[in-house]
Amino acid sequence: MPASKQLLALVTLLIAVAPRPLPAETPIDSMVSEAIGLVSRVRTLVRHVGGSQGQTINLDDLSRPTLLESRLRLALQPSNGELRITIPGGTARRGDFSLGSSENLTGHLLVIDGKADIYGHLTGNLVTVQGDVILHPGGVVSGDVLALGGEVQDQGGEIGGEVRTLKSSTLLAPAAATTAPQALSPIQSVLRRVAGVTGVFLTLLVLGFGLVMFGRQNLEIVSDTVSHSFGRAFLAGLLGQILLLPTFGMLVVGLILSVAGILLLPFAVAVFGLLTVLGVVGGFLAVAHAMGETYIRRRMALGVMIGSPNSYRYVLLGLGGLASVWAAWALFGWVPVAGSIVWGAAFFVTWLLGTAGFGAALLSRGGVRESFAGRLLPPEALTDEYLWATPQFGVPAARRPGPQSRSRGA
Amino acid sequence: MLRGAALAAVLLAWGSTAQAQTMRPFGTFRQWHGETRLTARLEYAAGLLRVAPGSGSQLYRMDLSYDDSRYVPISDFDQQSGSVVLGLKPEGQGGVRVVSREQLRQTATVAFSPRVDLSLALALGATETDVELGGLSVSNLAVKTGASRAVIRFSQPNGTRCGLAAISAGAAEVSLLGLGNSRCDEIEFEGGVGKVFLDFSGTWSSSSRVEVKMAVGELTLRLPRTVGVRMRMDKFLASFEPVGLVRRGEWFESRNYGSTDRHLNLDLTAAMGGVNVEWVK
Repeated sequence: MPASKQLLALVTLLIAVAPRPLPAETPIDSMVSEAIGLVSRVRTLVRHVGGSQGQTINLDDLSRPTLLESRLRLALQPSNGELRITIPGGTARRGDFSLGSSENLTGHLLVIDGKADIYGHLTGNLVTVQGDVILHPGGVVSGDVLALGGEVQDQGGEIGGEVRTLKSSTLLAPAAATTAPQALSPIQSVLRRVAGVTGVFLTLLVLGFGLVMFGRQNLEIVSDTVSHSFGRAFLAGLLGQILLLPTFGMLVVGLILSVAGILLLPFAVAVFGLLTVLGVVGGFLAVAHAMGETYIRRRMALGVMIGSPNSYRYVLLGLGGLASVWAAWALFGWVPVAGSIVWGAAFFVTWLLGTAGFGAALLSRGGVRESFAGRLLPPEALTDEYLWATPQFGVPAARRPGPQSRSRGA
Repeated sequence: MLRGAALAAVLLAWGSTAQAQTMRPFGTFRQWHGETRLTARLEYAAGLLRVAPGSGSQLYRMDLSYDDSRYVPISDFDQQSGSVVLGLKPEGQGGVRVVSREQLRQTATVAFSPRVDLSLALALGATETDVELGGLSVSNLAVKTGASRAVIRFSQPNGTRCGLAAISAGAAEVSLLGLGNSRCDEIEFEGGVGKVFLDFSGTWSSSSRVEVKMAVGELTLRLPRTVGVRMRMDKFLASFEPVGLVRRGEWFESRNYGSTDRHLNLDLTAAMGGVNVEWVK
């Protein structure tokens, strides 16, 4: 608004309000009230014309004191050493404030860092920050009262609305340095990712070793199922993922509908969750086992001497291979576009193998059923030569008696 | 030296944790300005809650101490409808906080003016609740409670006639004491899993109809000998010993049912558990 128009508005308001003739029978209180109201309005207008108003705090609704507190916390941070707050339809005071018994104040009142002594009549809401509200006999507040970090002492006054007190000792304290999270440098970013990937795969390694130690046979059967029936395992895993939630829902509903089932519900939910986690994590570790085993057997087939080709080594190697995919992301994830692509690839590969592992766990009933593990050899394959040269279990055992082997042997 | 340093580190860590887990006091009240009725809804998600009659000069008052990182206080009065919503509602981060239960125990004390006819609705979560309605004028009562322990009592006769008291409990331990003082025409109780104690002692000024539905748990009825009691029982896998009651068709009746002015008519449905009957003078 141009300065001339602002000045015109000020003059218009003064003309509209000032020359109103006061009736002869008007009581003194009313005249004082009019005068105070006029001064208040002019002051508000001058403040508006003056330009910079600082933060605007609306005191119309005090029913959410915590919300108002957070707004006030922002507004009470001085900018350029000054504290500027605008109260629409009201006033803000700093330090102790007293409303005299003959005074009427219209509009909301915010008192910061001081107490509010109310002897007179306040038409509006009253908020104090770090100060008490003392309502003296005869004092009236027509609206709500909120004391943030203070008390309300009602010594015989009247409060038309609700009174709320919220202990708030930090409102006027300088705000904690709100430093924006600094962007990490590529090296920091790489180190953080490497640490994350290392942590996750070390955890998986420990779990894998535990599985080998306590459930080796089951792990090997699931692992062989992945190797021998990868496509079938993947499809089973995909279907399992899709049907996981509906199955859970049906289980819960079924148990709720049956009277005795309600008692079993918590147990069933816990078991379902446990089996799912076991299926996913165990399946993933079985995939790692299968990868490691395949790699070592191929190396051995090429004549490389391997110290002790056992399941621990398979799991270690397989997890290392899977970790290498994520290691690529850890190293190059900070690169703008390529980083996202590497992440997507790593995620896809992990999901693919995890799905296959989950499916293999389902197909083999958690490593109990060997139907898809390729372990059932036809009797005619069990020749002396075969038994001498080939491990009797595992993936290569199932694949060894092929035509190529025979021709090579011949 | 090393041990001292370790102790200092532990104390420092404990101190910083304790500082972060602070409880915050909040208080609200409204002066009584001649109101004759109040509809109050009290929502309290977790902690200790106590409701009691207040002073006549205040329409209601609530003082609470709450965990401000997880909850916000509610205090909203609507002048037009003469209703108020009070309590605590969850906000911010959810989940379970792994600290001492005592350290973060939220407490709330709510008081209502005995001068007004009170329609009270309580929505309780995981709470320990003690509600004293004796001395108030409760015209309507609705309680919904989740996993809580609740005691609701009418120690003195209700100041006004109560139309309906409806209580719904999930997995809870609920005791309703002095229901004879409640002056309620109808009482409905619906329980999921838990232990329920319904005490119908008190000063009976009118007859009352009570409907109880209990899924799994133990229900104990304390019945007054001065009132004629008639009970109908629908049970599935529940045990019921009708002590002091005589069977008449599908009803169990006390011997004085035909000779008393005031009657307590009970309609019970119990799926699993037990229903016990006690008698008081």
